[in-house]
Amino acid sequence: MKRRGPVLQAVLGEWQSRIGLAILFVTLIAAVFGQLLEPYGIDQQVGGTLDPPSSAHWLGTDGGGVDLVTLLIAGARVSLIVGFAGAAVAMVIGGLVGVLSGFFGGKTDAALMRVTDYFLVLPDVPLLIIVAAIWGRSLQNIVLIIGLIYWTSTARLIRAQVKSVRERVYVRRAQALGASNTRLIFRHIVPQIAPLLIANTVLMVAQAIFLETFITFLGLGDPSAISWGKLIENSFKDDAVLNGAWWAVVPPGLAVTIVILACTLVGQSMEDALNPRLRVGHLSVRRFRVRPALRERDGA
Amino acid sequence: MGRYAAKRIGFALITVLVAITLNFVLFRALPGDAVSALRCKACTAAFRAAQRHDLGLDRPLVTQYGLYLKGIASGDLGSSLRTEAPVRGAIWEAIKNTVPMVTLGTVFSIVFGIIAGVISAWRRGTFVDKITQQTALAFYSMPTQWLALLIVLFVAGAVGLPTSGLADPSIDILGDASTWSILVDRFQHMVLPSLTLGLVLYGDYSLIVRSAMLETLGEDYVLTARAKGLSSWRIVWRHGLRNALLPIVTLVALSLGFVIGGTYTIEFIFSYPGIGYATVEAIDQRDYPILQGIFLLVTFSVIGFNLIADLLYPKLDPRVVSS
Amino acid sequence: MRRVLVVLGVAVTCTVLTACGGGSATTPTTSSGSTSPGPVAVKEGGILRIGTGNYIDSFNPWNWIESQSGMAMYEIYPALVQYDHDFKFVPDWAQTWETSADGLTWTFHLQSGGQWSDGKPLTADDAAWTINTSVKYKDDATANAAVNVGHVVSAAAPDANTLVITYDKPSATVLGGLGEMPILPRHVWEPLDTDGKGSGLKKYRPELHMPMVTAGAFTIAKYEKKGTTVFKADPNFYGPKAHAQAVALTFYTNPNAMIADLKAGKLDYLDQVPFKAVKAVSAMPNVTVDKSAGAEFTDVTWNSNPKKKKHRELLDPAVKKALAMGIDRQRIIDVVFEGNASLVDSVVGHVAGYFENTNLVPTRFDIAAGNAALDGLGYTRGADGSRVVPASATEAAHPMAYDVMIPTSLDYDGDRTFQIIKDGWAQMGVKVTQVSGGDSTAGYAYETGDNCDATKGTGYEKFDIALWDWVPYPDPDQQLSYMTKAQWCSWNDTGYDNPAYDALYDQQSTTIDRTARKVIVDQMQQMLFDAQIYTVIANEVALSAHSNAWVGIDQKVDAYSKTYLAAPHEA
Repeated sequence: MKRRGPVLQAVLGEWQSRIGLAILFVTLIAAVFGQLLEPYGIDQQVGGTLDPPSSAHWLGTDGGGVDLVTLLIAGARVSLIVGFAGAAVAMVIGGLVGVLSGFFGGKTDAALMRVTDYFLVLPDVPLLIIVAAIWGRSLQNIVLIIGLIYWTSTARLIRAQVKSVRERVYVRRAQALGASNTRLIFRHIVPQIAPLLIANTVLMVAQAIFLETFITFLGLGDPSAISWGKLIENSFKDDAVLNGAWWAVVPPGLAVTIVILACTLVGQSMEDALNPRLRVGHLSVRRFRVRPALRERDGA
Repeated sequence: MGRYAAKRIGFALITVLVAITLNFVLFRALPGDAVSALRCKACTAAFRAAQRHDLGLDRPLVTQYGLYLKGIASGDLGSSLRTEAPVRGAIWEAIKNTVPMVTLGTVFSIVFGIIAGVISAWRRGTFVDKITQQTALAFYSMPTQWLALLIVLFVAGAVGLPTSGLADPSIDILGDASTWSILVDRFQHMVLPSLTLGLVLYGDYSLIVRSAMLETLGEDYVLTARAKGLSSWRIVWRHGLRNALLPIVTLVALSLGFVIGGTYTIEFIFSYPGIGYATVEAIDQRDYPILQGIFLLVTFSVIGFNLIADLLYPKLDPRVVSS
Repeated sequence: MRRVLVVLGVAVTCTVLTACGGGSATTPTTSSGSTSPGPVAVKEGGILRIGTGNYIDSFNPWNWIESQSGMAMYEIYPALVQYDHDFKFVPDWAQTWETSADGLTWTFHLQSGGQWSDGKPLTADDAAWTINTSVKYKDDATANAAVNVGHVVSAAAPDANTLVITYDKPSATVLGGLGEMPILPRHVWEPLDTDGKGSGLKKYRPELHMPMVTAGAFTIAKYEKKGTTVFKADPNFYGPKAHAQAVALTFYTNPNAMIADLKAGKLDYLDQVPFKAVKAVSAMPNVTVDKSAGAEFTDVTWNSNPKKKKHRELLDPAVKKALAMGIDRQRIIDVVFEGNASLVDSVVGHVAGYFENTNLVPTRFDIAAGNAALDGLGYTRGADGSRVVPASATEAAHPMAYDVMIPTSLDYDGDRTFQIIKDGWAQMGVKVTQVSGGDSTAGYAYETGDNCDATKGTGYEKFDIALWDWVPYPDPDQQLSYMTKAQWCSWNDTGYDNPAYDALYDQQSTTIDRTARKVIVDQMQQMLFDAQIYTVIANEVALSAHSNAWVGIDQKVDAYSKTYLAAPHEA
């Protein structure tokens, strides 16, 4: 029998994270095979505006008479793409800065961490507004903005981890044997920190999805992309609340909440398994953002 | 300790300078300027050039930067492109409305966050703990604007509270309403936006209180107290919470700077004319001086609260200074 | 006017000068449509509380944009004449007026006894100064009011109650222009003009200098741009006094909140019910929804600057007509306006009534025909199905892919309209991307461009297509002026530059004979339609709602008459 790693064990061992995984899996299926599942077209007017749920349209129609089940599935695709891509950008930037900083230490570390500190302290909302205004409203730009805002916490987390890995005996031995820095980083350091990076990314996906709904609601999102954030915004614009059309308001937000919850549960149990210090590390929070930042901590 | 404090203050000052500079650079990169939005028959190229000259927009960037720093130092944040009113006054108008609402929401979330967190930590592993934690996580996961819409949809009608604006439009039209009734009306208009903010923050705070409590309850002195036969109620409140309070206070202070910036969607949905609302409007109107002012204000408050937290750290954990 | 207004044009009902010359000396009517109070004694007092989605941006007649400002200024400043419910001119400050035989001199006899809110007397001198100043700086600081004083040479006040205005040509737009011209207190405004260029006048913000000096049916007791503005009845008003003690106008960004307040009895009147809310409001007890023919129409605005460098294929009317066939206007009416709009083809809108050219052949929604037309023009589809414009002398071959600017200040759902248009065009191999234009001012800046200069003919280069609306006046003069070169960098939002059109415009404004004028006006509409400067989409129905506790509210005279706020009274 193959022994499970601590991460897998943690994730599969708790009922919360098992549920989380199941939710993520279902959402992913919906996103990937969405086009096959969507009963109607996303631009197709199939009924009156804000029609209540019926057997033909389980979640009714939105303010444009479009089937909401279709929109919800289409929204899953865009929201997940933005979530994963945004998290990936944050992971790449943050991972790179963290590895370089932690591995080389000294002046590199000081310089990179100084930059990180400045970014940490800049309020992200005005920043994203300005950047969105300059770059324009498109999905790619939202992904970049999310990456730009969230890379800092990853950088700090990874830096701390790299620092400790770097001091391990086998890394020192490899270095003594003349291994190049590149080799050290890619053969010895990165594999060690990968699980933590992945756990961090899962948490970041939740934050990215959250941030996308926020950016969209501010009117800075991609106007033609149907995401869950866009559906929430549409329900507001279509006066769904006024017309008592809960079916246009509740589902997209609920979908966001459930997916974020799932990511948080899975990511948390992974991270806890990997980095027991985090369990008690609350005093080490350098920056605590009200939202969406519960899990933002550096390990320094 | 003195050296540590000086270092932190120094860092904060440099950060302020970086933020001010970034503010200058970012807004210069935005498309269009005060003059490009002018619309008039006589808006010839020469006229525009003259206007730019009057506003100093044709000077070298370094000179503009110098003027900009001078303006900030004297508290002059420029004028709105739309109303031509001073930015400082416009921001003050907005912040004046936001602060009470945010305060109410924060108090709400702290009180309930602490109660829930303490109970959760005290009854760790029980059903109550699990429910409390999951609820907190759920609130944490909800998009703020969606929660606000749900409250308008399902709560507002049931409790009969207003969902829009700062005050009842029909109160005090002739300036004859009593101060008390005006205050009550203002408070009523604040409740739902504050509740939304409070619920959003509640999730965060209760989870944090719980961890802080767990950490404290694991300390030796708590064990000692227990050995002395103190009731668990007493231990939790006297020893646990008291010692967990400082990190909580620090975290709240840290988060406050961001709360100011985090009210955007709430204020928008509740048509509450605060700083978040002013921001959304300024985005819409491309009123860059106003945005610039708000950006500076939020940055400064975040840096300020960070500094306070930094200075508080050593009191919580003397190891911070040595490391 | 763009969600806004401005002035209006002409005497709709004047066929002969003399017919207009003798305004009756009776008091202005308080006609108020179907809810006319009748002979019953009117209940005085009370506070009329209005909810609106359109705010007052300024009280300066030379520097404002939003239509609510036009309404507010109408209520607080004197005007010579005003409209009644049927858009006929009736007295406001001027009780009677006459025209000289050559049509060049107009004499107005003003109601005496008026006074400004600071106690100074209101005299013809104030009117003369306001008009002369508007003429003096009409190309710059007071351009906003230039149309009101078209062809005016000068105004003079021989005595306190007589105003004489001389024109260089007989004008068909005298009363319309003057009717929407607020008269300002000379003693307050004249000292502001310090540089001889009028810039002090344009910059002045009366609302920042409370109490404002006014002399209308109301004074402003409180002003909150994005909150509540309180109009208080002015006991010294020269005309019929307002019935309500005060009017509170509250601005809402969130229609849900506005409607909740109407339901809760905190509002008495909504000046515009959002299209998506009609069902909910109609269901309320004690509330009446009023529908009337609206002035506003929505349109696709095409950059028509003949000198534009990019995407010149969009200057070709044949291309625009083909694209117009891809716009499902009926679906837009059903979805965006919940059926509360009608098809319209002319840029003067249905509000022009007699002057609307109804002979324009409407563009039908027909994707196949549109596709065939584009095929015929040689814009063939590429491998991915998108059409390609072949290389020309000035441009390389490029796909038919364009940005569409949509301002955020629309009173209808622009995003949804765009989606429907995009859907249609996608089936024709044309790709469009939505660009947010910001509010009206930012939207204009996007269209005219940074380098707009009428004298050099620069500007109007950046944008291709915009989705917007116009709110024309009953007389088409103003609306038709927006496409002239004279309005370049000002109200002109297409960059259209056609000397033949401009000549017709001048001709119609001095053609006094109504039938003859209509011939010219029809020709102009045909010209614009053929060139597809705008592809007009839908003419909105004006929807307002009032509590049954109030009577006499006439949405139709909003911004055209002081009776709008002065006539309503408690039931």
